[in-house]
Amino acid sequence: MAKASRALRGRMRSVQNTRKITRTMELVSTSKLKRAQDRVVAARPYASALAEVIADLVTPELAERFPLLRQPAPPSKGGPTKAALLLVTSNRGLAGGFNSNLIKEARRRLEQLEAAGYQVDLHLIGRKGIGFFKYLGRAITTQRIDIGDKPTAAHAGELVQALITEYEAGRLASVDIVYAKFNSPLSTPPTTLRVLPVETPVKQKGGMKADYILKPGADQILAQLLPLYVRNQVYRGLVETAAAEHGARRTAMKSATDNAGEIFELLKRTYNRQRQAAITQEIAEIVGGAAALEG
Amino acid sequence: MRVTVISPEAAIFDGDADAVVAPAYDGQVGILPRHAPFMTLLGRGTLAVTAGGTTHRFQVDGGFLQAVHDTVRVVAEQVKGLPNAS
Repeated sequence: MAKASRALRGRMRSVQNTRKITRTMELVSTSKLKRAQDRVVAARPYASALAEVIADLVTPELAERFPLLRQPAPPSKGGPTKAALLLVTSNRGLAGGFNSNLIKEARRRLEQLEAAGYQVDLHLIGRKGIGFFKYLGRAITTQRIDIGDKPTAAHAGELVQALITEYEAGRLASVDIVYAKFNSPLSTPPTTLRVLPVETPVKQKGGMKADYILKPGADQILAQLLPLYVRNQVYRGLVETAAAEHGARRTAMKSATDNAGEIFELLKRTYNRQRQAAITQEIAEIVGGAAALEG
Repeated sequence: MRVTVISPEAAIFDGDADAVVAPAYDGQVGILPRHAPFMTLLGRGTLAVTAGGTTHRFQVDGGFLQAVHDTVRVVAEQVKGLPNAS
């Protein structure tokens, strides 16, 4: 009996320690989530301003002239055979299915692209994605682990600038980014976004088109703004994934904490019952012994 | 008129102003209230937003300026606030 209860006490202690750790991680994620969420919100005005202006300026005739807007010919008709896929994952685990969901989405896209006859370059951000594709033994074109959970617009620029150049030169057929869309801390579905060719933002209804004085012309303004738009989409992917990571980790750690609490309760009940049983048995033995002495 | 200065990371300035002087791609451009709808590319330089008696200054690089319906939007890839000058 004494041995069994010591083992139980050991387990209770270990469950309680684990619970402390997961609880702390939950609190840390909650505060990091708050800040990351603020960054997502802060990034919105820029994205919407850019999208609005581009939607205002783009006309079908102009679209024909910009390589970034043009759909390249498929490989069967002599178009470029290479496509690029960016995958944003986190550097750290313990976030439930967060990274594996992203990887699954990326593999789905990868298969689609390969089935369409493209040779896909992988550009991976975050340790988890890199680890997985290394394990698969796939060639990785670029990998970054230094971005962490405070991505900046400069990071996005570094990532996508080379791809824009390649695309403009006609060596790339498309650029996709797989990231976690941050709908809310509880809803972060993995999402694939086509970055290049640029899918021109659709004009919001209601706002009347103003007759702008444009300096320089619409085409030159577009030439400047399209790369900004592409960079911004990648930046949004980075920021939203960072926020989504913390949301996912918070949820995972919360359920881990709850589970640990439940297990602890169960162990405590078992332990108390055993203790009570031992005491009852001892009393019975004493009473029995005394009764035997009295004869 | 309402003026907003926006960088990719955040909206840096948002408020009413009396005048904006911005570094366009080919030289300075000044915007006063009730400007005609206007859009131009920005170069590198100092953006000055005068509101009341104070002038807010920002170092900007790239992006565009849009003035429409008495609202000026300065959207730049890099924006850095500079110390205020009166």
